[in-house]
Amino acid sequence: MERAPVPATLIRNLEFKVGLLLVGTLVLALAFLAYVLHVRGVFEPSQELILVADDAEGVSVGMPLSFSGFPIGRVSRLDLTDQGQVRVHVAVPLKSARWLRESSRFTLEKGLVGGAKIRAFSTNLADPPLPDGAERSLLTGDATQEIPVLVAKVKAILANVEAMTAGDSSINRALAHADTISGRMAGEYGVLEGVLGGPDKARKIVDALDRANSLLANLNGVSLKVDQMLVKADQRVFGAGGTMDRTDQSLAQVNAILADVRESLGKADAILREAQAAAANVNAITADVKGATTDLASLRAEVDESLRKVNHLINEINRKWPFARDVELKLP
Amino acid sequence: MQSVHQFLTRVGAGFIGWLKSWRGILRFAAQAAVEAFTPALYNSATRSVVQKQIYFTAWQILPGFTLFAAVLSYVLIQIVVTTARDFGLSDYALEVSIRVLVLELLPLLTALFVALRSGAAINTEVALMNINNEIRALEEAGVDPMRFEFTPRVIGGAISVFALTALTSVLALILAYLAVYGFQLWSLPDFNRVMGQVFTPAAFVILSLKSLAFGLAVTVIPIRAGLEAPRMMFFAPIAVLRGMVRLFFVLMIIEVASLALAYI
Repeated sequence: MERAPVPATLIRNLEFKVGLLLVGTLVLALAFLAYVLHVRGVFEPSQELILVADDAEGVSVGMPLSFSGFPIGRVSRLDLTDQGQVRVHVAVPLKSARWLRESSRFTLEKGLVGGAKIRAFSTNLADPPLPDGAERSLLTGDATQEIPVLVAKVKAILANVEAMTAGDSSINRALAHADTISGRMAGEYGVLEGVLGGPDKARKIVDALDRANSLLANLNGVSLKVDQMLVKADQRVFGAGGTMDRTDQSLAQVNAILADVRESLGKADAILREAQAAAANVNAITADVKGATTDLASLRAEVDESLRKVNHLINEINRKWPFARDVELKLP
Repeated sequence: MQSVHQFLTRVGAGFIGWLKSWRGILRFAAQAAVEAFTPALYNSATRSVVQKQIYFTAWQILPGFTLFAAVLSYVLIQIVVTTARDFGLSDYALEVSIRVLVLELLPLLTALFVALRSGAAINTEVALMNINNEIRALEEAGVDPMRFEFTPRVIGGAISVFALTALTSVLALILAYLAVYGFQLWSLPDFNRVMGQVFTPAAFVILSLKSLAFGLAVTVIPIRAGLEAPRMMFFAPIAVLRGMVRLFFVLMIIEVASLALAYI
């Protein structure tokens, strides 16, 4: 190709072409460098969030932190504390930081296929925003860890299902019974036969029902008679010249009697009033009697005195006149 | 007994020769790198050689190679995206295609392309110059062939490989965006996030170093292979063959080393 030295003048615009290529490449390289720095968030102010987890297997630098399926941050650094816990530093650009709140939760999920995922959940976007450098715990959920438990449970369930479907299982027996019952139900007496277990018993029930029916017919006749009786009683009680009429008349008489009684009571009232006046008089009389009684006491004292004198006199006479024994003395 | 001795001698001599030639390559590369950063190197003569080298290595093949890289990238991205969707791993499709194409495949492809085209040409040219005693003539005329012939070619080759890698990589990124998200701009944040995940500082440095190593290898090894050839006409094809095999071997070693650095 370049065997013989080709004079530069033979190639048209050599210097321009080479210059264009060089400048183009340089511009492209620098622009790409700037672009990579930009997409790596070098020019974007970001805040730091520290997630603390016991085990950060599957977490790597550059891994996204997603919110509602959208990447809003990136793991920038991982380190281990003295307590053996992992601190995952996540750089969240300020414009995405509004999705993270004080109440936000962070989870690390590991699926069967694909890498681990760090997710943020913010239930209440009205809460105060997460401050720069906040430290939160990273909740880990691992689908593969639950598989052995799940398998054990499924095995137990399968064993139960096997027991259920075995030839002499209770379900099979129940189904056989159900079959017998439904066979009976298909007989002459239908459901009754199925429930009671045989045609004889079912017939008894049917007979009983028949008897009950005739009984009901009789009862019907009885109730008709009762109805007639009631009509008659009604006539007797409420008809013209019936009990009610006479009761009404009696009540009128009672009323008249009551009026008389009221009148008599009025008179009795008057009498009572007079009696009250009389009682007042009696009071006055009692006062007089009291005075009189006092006089009587003195009188009696005097009489007693006179009697004693008379007595004394008689005694004197008796002594002086011993013969006359039957002395009669008239008191005043 | 005599034959065993001869055999062992032959093996030992072969090994020492092999070691010597590798040492020569490394020394030559170091010398070229040092000279490239010596401002005194650059004058109108060397600049002209650098320009021509860039013109022939990069500019001439630019349209064809870009088209080829674009088609290859698009097909590979489509395969990755479709397969990933079938397995329910579409989230990883973009990242995987960018990693495979931009970080690994396109730099290697560019280096191989340049090696096959310009590397082989340089190898032949230097071998013929050496056989025809042109290099010795230059030395006798007081012109340092290292300074005026070889180092400018090394510089031109390295710049060319870097330029081609950068152009095809950016093209592949645009195609990857279009293949995954379609012709709209709303998914740019998603794309940016994946780019941020892929192009860590380490990945960026490894990519740049790898590209530089490829650029050095595609010129240094052919020049050295041409210079090593004995000055006999029938050795010219052997010199080219050795140089190209060695170049392929070195390119693979660089690729494997970069992978080991990035992922182990």
